[in-house]
Amino acid sequence: MSLAIIQDRSVLKHAQAPSEETIGITPQQPVNSIETESVKAPPLIKLCGIGKSFPGVRALQDVSLSLWPGEVHMIMGENGAGKSTLMKVMCGAYKADEGHFEYQGRKVAVRGAADARRLGVAVIFQEYSLVPYLDVAQNIFLGREPMRRIPGLIDHSRTHREAAALLQRLGSDIDTRAIVENLSVAQHQVIEIAKALSQDAKVLVLDEPTAALSVREAEKLFKLVADLREQGVAMAYISHRMDEVFELGDRVSVMRDGKMVTTLAANQATPDELVSLMVGRKVNMNYSRGERPMPGDVVLEVKDLAGTNGLAQASLQVRSREIVGIAGLVGSGRTELVRTIFGADPATSGTIVIRGEPFKGGPADARRKGLALIPEDRKRQGLALEQTVGDNLVSASLPRHFPSSWFSPARADRLAKSKIEQLSIAPARPRKSAGKLSGGNQQKIVIGKWLLDDAELFIFDEPTRGIDVGAKEQIFALMDGLVRQGRSVLMISSEMNEIVRVCDRAYVMKDMRIVGEVSHEQLSEDNLVRLAMGGK
Amino acid sequence: MPVLQTSFGFSPRVRELPGCAWALLLLLVLFAATASNFLTTGNLLNIASQATLLLLLALPMTFVIMTEGLDLSLGALLSLCTVIFAIVVKSSGSVSAGILACVMIGVLIGALNGSLISMLGIPPFVATLGTMGIATGLALLLSEERELIELGATAQAAWSGIWMGIPLPVWIAAVSYGLFHFLLKHTRFGVSVIALGGNSEALRLAGKRVVPRLTLVYVLAGVYAAIAGVLLAGRINGGNPTAAQGMEFDAIAAVVVGGTHFVKGRGTLFGTLLGVILITVLRNGLNLLGLTASIQVAAIGILVIAALAMESRR
Amino acid sequence: MNNILVIGSPEARTIALRLFALGVIGLIIGSVAEPFTNAGNLLNILRQASLLFLIASGLTIVIIAGGLDLSIGANVSLSACLAATVIQSSGSLLAGAATALASGLAIGAMNALVICVLRVPAFIATYGMLWIVQGIAYWYMSGTIIHGFPSEVRYIGIGFTAGIPIPVYIMLAFLLLGTLFTQRTTWGRQIYAIGANPTAASLSGIPVNHRVALVYVISGAMSGLAALVFLARLNSAEADLGDSLMLQAVAAVLIGGTSLFGGTGTLAGTLLGCLVLTVVLNGMNLLSISASWQPIVTGAIVIASVLFDAIGRRNR
Repeated sequence: MSLAIIQDRSVLKHAQAPSEETIGITPQQPVNSIETESVKAPPLIKLCGIGKSFPGVRALQDVSLSLWPGEVHMIMGENGAGKSTLMKVMCGAYKADEGHFEYQGRKVAVRGAADARRLGVAVIFQEYSLVPYLDVAQNIFLGREPMRRIPGLIDHSRTHREAAALLQRLGSDIDTRAIVENLSVAQHQVIEIAKALSQDAKVLVLDEPTAALSVREAEKLFKLVADLREQGVAMAYISHRMDEVFELGDRVSVMRDGKMVTTLAANQATPDELVSLMVGRKVNMNYSRGERPMPGDVVLEVKDLAGTNGLAQASLQVRSREIVGIAGLVGSGRTELVRTIFGADPATSGTIVIRGEPFKGGPADARRKGLALIPEDRKRQGLALEQTVGDNLVSASLPRHFPSSWFSPARADRLAKSKIEQLSIAPARPRKSAGKLSGGNQQKIVIGKWLLDDAELFIFDEPTRGIDVGAKEQIFALMDGLVRQGRSVLMISSEMNEIVRVCDRAYVMKDMRIVGEVSHEQLSEDNLVRLAMGGK
Repeated sequence: MPVLQTSFGFSPRVRELPGCAWALLLLLVLFAATASNFLTTGNLLNIASQATLLLLLALPMTFVIMTEGLDLSLGALLSLCTVIFAIVVKSSGSVSAGILACVMIGVLIGALNGSLISMLGIPPFVATLGTMGIATGLALLLSEERELIELGATAQAAWSGIWMGIPLPVWIAAVSYGLFHFLLKHTRFGVSVIALGGNSEALRLAGKRVVPRLTLVYVLAGVYAAIAGVLLAGRINGGNPTAAQGMEFDAIAAVVVGGTHFVKGRGTLFGTLLGVILITVLRNGLNLLGLTASIQVAAIGILVIAALAMESRR
Repeated sequence: MNNILVIGSPEARTIALRLFALGVIGLIIGSVAEPFTNAGNLLNILRQASLLFLIASGLTIVIIAGGLDLSIGANVSLSACLAATVIQSSGSLLAGAATALASGLAIGAMNALVICVLRVPAFIATYGMLWIVQGIAYWYMSGTIIHGFPSEVRYIGIGFTAGIPIPVYIMLAFLLLGTLFTQRTTWGRQIYAIGANPTAASLSGIPVNHRVALVYVISGAMSGLAALVFLARLNSAEADLGDSLMLQAVAAVLIGGTSLFGGTGTLAGTLLGCLVLTVVLNGMNLLSISASWQPIVTGAIVIASVLFDAIGRRNR
């Protein structure tokens, strides 16, 4: 079986040269086949009819999922489909509002993380559960170090022995005495898995584990997953990568809009089918752009840009009066791209040209050139939550409106009120603390901040995340208005249908590179998703 | 970047240690050449006894700085303990009662520091700045209108006693070093000290509570300030409310110059030992060369900033 | 916006609360200690509080920006000693003032260099600077004391105009300039933004590093000027002149409602904090409470203020 896998992988590698022609990927030979229909034993763990709501949002609705030992169960879906929420319910971080758990056929209560741990569920984090300056063995046994007979003394040899055994079981040759800080992200992941196994994990939850890995490291992880499967560990594996799904998966579940759409055996599914299951939805919003304005001159030109934040290679162009989208999956490098353009992270190579002049510098310089960045994490990077709405609104444009450096609160108040009115920010009180407003209104503040600075090129990073439908439409209409005034918009979104509806054309990113450009005529969700997921 | 992989799970960065050790070597050579009395037995013994006191403060300070904290109150606490020790010994005649009283005060103030910092997220320098003021004031108050000298032979025994040819304070320092080394490398508490500075979230995820562990770090510092206070009282044969004023600075400097840099739980006790010797030698040497304490302090300050600046460049 | 004159704003409430507390404390002390309400005593309190404010104002701005300056006391000591030397040798008030200012600026610039360029964390950078500057001051003075200045110099410290001590006028000038800077300049508004959320401020195109460097230089300069007034008041300069000032300044800033976490605070609040602290210490003096209680009370006030701030943040 292992031989077959290696062969399949090499075939995959040849087929994956990213280009506009890579529309479909032919699935490989069935990797594994657990004939789920014929298994008599109840699943190891089963979530039944799980529902979970947050204020204003129904994140999960009647979702059921079962996991058998030794099964790799792929979970797919677009962003916001509910995958992460479901996993958090499974590991006890969230408590389900509806539905129940079953463990080996018997109903059990899972009220929190401790209950989930007792059932043997472990989530593999990337960074935040390891201590940088402890060694591998210490990290694996953090808080549960084996002790010697004399009370209080850690048994170092046993710690390292058992850690080494665990790592060997995972086929890893990491030195147990290596300091975690010096190891790579891929190795951190292996350590996390070893840590989970050391606590008798029977169910592992992996959330996009290959997102930050190189091709070789990912292959090692695949082998690890295969070994774990043989050892009877069940795995819930969130993935966006078609090749992974078909290479590793036994079954595939597709989620959409908080519901479980269907569960298929991996060898009975095709990529096209999966894509349409993920993406198919009724477009129920009324916004339509009407007549597109004609694009003008090139405002931003980026060539072969790479940065310290991991951006590998990007070239793009934005003209005035255009809304250009940047599509791609989580971890594809979209935020890194715009941060490098804006100067928030340093560039290591390539050029940025703004209105014909080469650009170098930080955010303060970018601002002076007319750029604006509305970050993904609006609470932590876009706003000062403790300050007032008014303070936030004027924070970027102070040099523009008060060139002599003399500040007039009355004028600032007027400016703030003008944006509050224009954007319908509610409550319409400039002195209200920004942290108290809803997500949609907070986003409007961030946008308003840059409107006041009369920016020319607006870069939006996931502008509608966590925002209700009404506010979304307003933001799209706003973008349209901006480009009609002659400005430009660069928009990152994980919701492909948004990009299709709102943008004139789009670039697609994968693995820290721009892998394709989709013109207006070719702009469709299917095309975007295929490019974004195209083989590895 | 070569990493020294030692057998017990934390490695002193190879670059730091030799830096500190080379600097020490350089200083020793320099002073031996320029200061006439530097290499006499008397002077070396002097260095040793000064260093032992500083080590008693610097060892727990290493733990504190490894958790990315700071304890500014140790000098004042030390002085306070000399006063308390003197008072108790003179009034009750019992040295053990004096020791007990000091340790209790050390625990109390350490616990106060620790709980303010761990429970309420108060920045360590502010919390300990406040307790420093309180300890200073208390020491001044208690020593008003009191005669605090002549504590008797027993009290001085800890400082002047000799066992197997080596002064007792050196034994105490050596045992303490061993104790901290043991704590750091062989106990769960030691692992949690590193975790507190490196990723306290990891501790929480492992189900271990942060508050008691972080508090214990500061309590340890308080207790050791008390022990050092008892020793110092024995040495000066009395209590003095400003006896150790500013010593926390030397302790912090020793830890930082030795290689523990407020970085994610990384730290080295051996580095602290070297740092203590370096600081003590520096002071001693400059003193012999006729440079006042103030210049010494300025020089040490520059060393601290230089060490941290080099850390940031990495 | 952050305009304390707006009734009902959080800043106005903070000020009102402090005024109230001041009044209450004043009443209590006044009833217990008779000489408290003497005109002479009240003027003395005003003078003392003004002196403290001169240093605490710079510290306030640094803390608003999210930073910290522990070197201010040592700054005052060294600047005072240097200025005193110049005054004694040249007899010129102007030369003395220039020296004090230059010294303060230099120390502030050093802080800015270490924190903004060398990227050393502020608390340990200014702590190290404290000892360096203090060491230089002690070495420079070698235990001596410079005593006796020309009358025009002394006038600044102990003189009156229209019945009000000169330091009060200087304090008012600092208050006005400082408030103008923080409330009525773009730089001041940017500093608040930086303290509230440095990441968001940077991404809003605010040159964070420049502004932070600026506040340390300002704090240094203000400490330098304060040194002049101190030496004028004391008619002498010694190396330990500023030793207790740092703790008192921190306490005054915290009492005044400025949060250590940055982004909020007013100079008026700090002024009230200076008054409250001075009144408390003065009352203790009048009640013949031993001076040893002063650091205890100040330390306790520091802890209590941060406690309230931390608890308040939790509940929000």
